[in-house]
Amino acid sequence: MNRSSKAIAASALLILICIGALSYRSQVRNEEDREWVTHTHLVVERLQAIRIDITQAETGQRGYILTGQDRYMALYGTGVDRLGQDIKALQDLTSDNSEEQESIKRLRSLITDRLGELADGIEVRKQSGLLAGVEAVTQGNNGELWMEMIATQIGEMRRTEAELLSARLKTAAASTRKMKVLIACGNTLAILILLVKGFVIHREIGKRTLAEQNLKQANESLERRTAELSETNIELESFAYSVAHDLRAPLRHIAGYSGVLTQDYGPRLDAEGLRCLGKIVDCAHKMGTLVDDLLALSQIGRQELSFQDTALGSLVAQAVEDLAPEFAGRDLKWQIGDLFNAECDSRLMKQVFANLLSNAVKYTRKREYAVIQVGQTTVNGERVVFVRDNGVGFDMQYAAKLFGVFQRLHKARDFEGTGVGLAIVQRIIRKHGGRIWAEAALDQGATFFFTLGTPENKAPKQPELAIHEEEMDVARS
Amino acid sequence: MSHEVEILLVEDSPEDVELTIRALRRNKLANEIQVAEDGAEALDFLFCRGSFKDRTPSSLPKLVLLDLKLPKVSGMEVLRAIRGDERTKAIPVVVLTSSKEERDLIDGYQLGVNAYAQKPVDFEQFSETVRQIGMFWMLINQPPPPGTFVASRAQGA
Repeated sequence: MNRSSKAIAASALLILICIGALSYRSQVRNEEDREWVTHTHLVVERLQAIRIDITQAETGQRGYILTGQDRYMALYGTGVDRLGQDIKALQDLTSDNSEEQESIKRLRSLITDRLGELADGIEVRKQSGLLAGVEAVTQGNNGELWMEMIATQIGEMRRTEAELLSARLKTAAASTRKMKVLIACGNTLAILILLVKGFVIHREIGKRTLAEQNLKQANESLERRTAELSETNIELESFAYSVAHDLRAPLRHIAGYSGVLTQDYGPRLDAEGLRCLGKIVDCAHKMGTLVDDLLALSQIGRQELSFQDTALGSLVAQAVEDLAPEFAGRDLKWQIGDLFNAECDSRLMKQVFANLLSNAVKYTRKREYAVIQVGQTTVNGERVVFVRDNGVGFDMQYAAKLFGVFQRLHKARDFEGTGVGLAIVQRIIRKHGGRIWAEAALDQGATFFFTLGTPENKAPKQPELAIHEEEMDVARS
Repeated sequence: MSHEVEILLVEDSPEDVELTIRALRRNKLANEIQVAEDGAEALDFLFCRGSFKDRTPSSLPKLVLLDLKLPKVSGMEVLRAIRGDERTKAIPVVVLTSSKEERDLIDGYQLGVNAYAQKPVDFEQFSETVRQIGMFWMLINQPPPPGTFVASRAQGA
């Protein structure tokens, strides 16, 4: 579309340039034509002057012959001089036309002959007096004939010049007409082309405006939906918070009054009564834990991250130390490799390790020799932290449910828990712009991998020392 | 009132009031407990306004046990009012609440709370928490001498 519209504009421009050139040429031609008209008038004028000059020369000669006065002689002289000038001028004017030059030659010879006769008459008057002079003038008496011949010649030349002019004017008129038509057609064409171009541009602009409007609308609705979504998210988080918070009070009261009942009326209850009371307290505690976990989850959702350069290795060490009471007395081997430094919220990242390691401790509980590894590796150029255990693992077909809130892949009877720990881990990792996934097989242990969003992660201070399978085997044996 | 109030318990839940008082009494920690069911009532008591206008102003509690989620005037606003007034700013205030939201902790300490405890779900733990708070603030802690308040009041007048 763009290329063809350029071609249209170029062709219109070309036409306008051609019209300009033609107009210029036509203007030059018109000027030439005007010059020709002037030229013809000049020629005709000279021819007229020649007739007058001859008449003057004759009048001067006759006056002198009759009176012998010098003033007639002067008149004669002026006529002869002027004839010379006028013939010379005529020759210059028609120098480009050989035909006319020929005519001028004939005219000049006629005039020369006539002037010779006039000069002879004057000579006779001078030598022999009035009578001889008059006789000389009247003797030949062919003056009339001469004059007629000269007049004929001049008339012929005037006609020729008039014909030339007429022919030139006719050509000029025809070319002017052609020029007019050409200019009119060219202009019309150029205007049409520009109109078409204008229409095309108008239509394109219309289309573009429409497309822009559509895009703008789409953007606006996207922004609106994003705003709605984030608002809904905030509402959901605060809803979860207030529900959890408000649920906690009656739970405490259930537990509290059960406690009062046990303290004050315990002695009056039989074994079954006490067992039921114990169940009430247990259930209240269980729900209390659920509510607390839910609160923790919602708190992470609402919390702003505070990034700082953190040695992940030291977080792991702290988490292991905190977990010590849970694996006391067990044969559990920790294999902790070097971990990189990362820009992260260290408090939340410690929570990640605490939850992952606590899971690892929990699900290796039934192993005689438990091994838990923490290390780093590289996947597609991205640093990955992993936590591996040789515990009970899980069936990969349920992997999608692993990080869901309140999702559990084990029976409560086998392993206690609320199903919030991994949801919290995932939420923290996602808030850092990272990903988390797991690989496992039933009864074959589980490995959790996570990234932390590449840009801020720093280079390791020491070469990577990921722990491999072989080391695990060595450690086991 | 014949006896001086030792603890002002600001708590809107009757169950929590009952369980807290029970825990205190079983440990013989407070004979005189004044309960305020919302923040406004707590402030009326402390500043001898409204239904407490006949109370002796110089008689201030040894401890304020403050819940945060309260009708009318919130616990934080009560804390702000206590710390913002020369007559009451030295009273020990302990927040005892369901929430351990980071925001609440930060706000509480910034407003000058003396201690912050979350109410445990477990009744034994709850009783123990209340007992330890009462023990410390009633028996171990030395309260500000009475002159502290009198002098402040004289300055404020």
